[in-house]
Amino acid sequence: MKNLRRKIGLATLAAAAALAFAPLAVAQKAAPKADAKEDIVLGGSIPLTGVFAFAGIAIDLGIKDYLTILNESGGIKGRKVRYVPEDTGYKVDQSMAAFKKITSQNKVNLYYADSTAFVKTVNPELERAQNILMTGASFAKEISNAQKYPLQFMVGPDYSEMVGILLQYIAKTKPGAKVALVYSDTEFGKDPVDAARIEARKLGLNLALEIVTPPSSVDVSAEVIKLRRADPDYTIFHGYVSAPIPEFINQAKALNLKTAFMGTFWSMDNTTVMRMGANADGFLGVMPYRYYYDTEGKSPMLERIRKMRPEYQSTGYIQGFLSTMLLTEAVKRTLDAGNELTGKNMKTALSSIRNFDTGGIIGVPLSIKGNSIPIGRIYKADFKQQKMVPASDWITLQQ
Amino acid sequence: MRIGSAKESYALDAALFDSRTQYAWIGVMLVALCVFPFLASEYWLYLACLVTINIASTTGLNILTGYTGLVSLGQAAFMGLGAYTVAILQIRYASPFLLNLLAGGAVAMLAGVLVGLPSLRVKGLYLAIATIAAGVIAHFLFSHFSLLTGGSSGLSIPPARFFGIELDDSFKLYWVIVPVTALMLLGAANLFRTRIGRAFIAIRDRDISAEVLGISLLHYKLLSFAISSFYAGVAGGLFAYFFRAVSPETFPLLMSIFFLAAVIVGGMGTILGSVLGAVFMTLVPELLKLIVGWLPLGGNATLILSPVRTIVFGLMIVLFLIFEPHGLAEVWRRIRRLFHLWPFCT
Repeated sequence: MKNLRRKIGLATLAAAAALAFAPLAVAQKAAPKADAKEDIVLGGSIPLTGVFAFAGIAIDLGIKDYLTILNESGGIKGRKVRYVPEDTGYKVDQSMAAFKKITSQNKVNLYYADSTAFVKTVNPELERAQNILMTGASFAKEISNAQKYPLQFMVGPDYSEMVGILLQYIAKTKPGAKVALVYSDTEFGKDPVDAARIEARKLGLNLALEIVTPPSSVDVSAEVIKLRRADPDYTIFHGYVSAPIPEFINQAKALNLKTAFMGTFWSMDNTTVMRMGANADGFLGVMPYRYYYDTEGKSPMLERIRKMRPEYQSTGYIQGFLSTMLLTEAVKRTLDAGNELTGKNMKTALSSIRNFDTGGIIGVPLSIKGNSIPIGRIYKADFKQQKMVPASDWITLQQ
Repeated sequence: MRIGSAKESYALDAALFDSRTQYAWIGVMLVALCVFPFLASEYWLYLACLVTINIASTTGLNILTGYTGLVSLGQAAFMGLGAYTVAILQIRYASPFLLNLLAGGAVAMLAGVLVGLPSLRVKGLYLAIATIAAGVIAHFLFSHFSLLTGGSSGLSIPPARFFGIELDDSFKLYWVIVPVTALMLLGAANLFRTRIGRAFIAIRDRDISAEVLGISLLHYKLLSFAISSFYAGVAGGLFAYFFRAVSPETFPLLMSIFFLAAVIVGGMGTILGSVLGAVFMTLVPELLKLIVGWLPLGGNATLILSPVRTIVFGLMIVLFLIFEPHGLAEVWRRIRRLFHLWPFCT
């Protein structure tokens, strides 16, 4: 009898689940929510879990904080901006599911994308819909092609331009220097390699060594021996967040190598560099934004952030914050011009940005010409201060 | 209560469906599948297509692992080969998509036979490790044969065309993905009514005894690999048309583990298990997201509950393995038995 009751219970549960979920699909067919005040909607495929969660959580916070500031000051022409994020676990299929879910339930105008793979996958959808402007966490060179990705842009230089900025710094600091490039065997890692070879030649630098490693590899002793043989003046890492950079640095120090190590955006967060250990003192790298704690010059937006969040906020946070600032600026300019909020109009409005003041987040006035913003600055790790400190002025590449 | 279904011939005994009730339910399901795209939102259509592609691949792996007992961790690599074949054919020759899908399956099948060769000497975990090599080699090919594969940045694929119609959204693709997968499921179910299928099961249950009975292990093990990889290749092709972008990182080892988990959670050695396993593994994380969304927890609920959701999903898999090692297919059978024998218990 007890067994029977259990089975009846199980069957009822199954039937209830079926009844609960079956109409769900139908219910969600209903037209996307159109708020009475016509909110501007910023959707987001955000990696709150998974391997990229360290950045995703910060980006999420950065987006929310900028929108709080914007909405508290009345929104855009009286219209609030509503943020609709979904966790993706940094998986393309889930990012797409999030995109479909958010766009089918809301009239989305702006979107934040979490990865290069997702950006490529969603591009045909964007072109078909023609009503969304997108940016995201990817700095892949391919996306800086405005013909291929007409409704997207990136908030900073692409990876090739990042390495280009590093090479310009090297050429200026030590003309004819010997350079090594260490990159991961991933799409991310290989992205700037071809451009780096060309740029190094153009600048008269000697790209003496290229090392490819698996992402997050641990044993790099064979690679460090290669580095020792080549004895480069500078070693640029790309395609990693942290590992194996600390291992390279520690082993190189043990071998008394004099090479200066450098990184690109995703390995340049202050916390990430400080965790590399004292041997990473002097670690250089390119940053498109000012750090949270930078106080030089006039930076009202950074001051505002520090007031809102007294504790250190990562570079991911700043990236999310600035992304939202530029996305909403595109909306504002489109509405100011009396145009409809289509993807094309918003992109045109974005491309009209000249000498834009980011409130000090980027140290120079911003002009947007293509899909990337090729501005950056070299920062250097100072372990005494436990901070990344400026090592150069702002460098702007020609597009 | 259904008392029983008398079977008066071997053909009836081996029939896929043995009662009118089953035919009626199949009819209802077909109608539901046809009506669904007209009622569902773009999101649910997307999920339906994704689940269906995963069902196709899981069924392939179930033929190999569930029915033949050969553990493989190369399913993602075979999908990748299918996807790249379809992508290359579509980009370079714009050939008919059904032909491309078959070509994708064929290329994966050939690779499957090669990868299956070690299965003649090793099995179990050793074979699983050997099949990982397929993934490593496939990744190398995808990233280094840049002229064909686009190198590390991969390929963007134009949409498939059918009589001039571009299959560029989930609604249109649904009418390709679902019928193709249904055919594959039907094929797999029928396979086990033939000598080939029974030979696979015999090999799984005891390969030495199977050989004594006259079943050629060389022939049937490789055939199982071939069929399984063909399924993966076609699923990969559907994946390529669905996502319209492939890169070497699209088909990682983790994806193979996903399909193996789907086979185990669904039920090894049952076609229904492949369907239920793929549905569970694909949809449960999404349903958990929906549930989290419904909770009245305010703006930061997504941020706070995302890790919890992942843990709950992991726990659900573990609990299934502990309390129902035969998988969801067995749960389904028990529920069916309950209705058959109602109001009596077994």
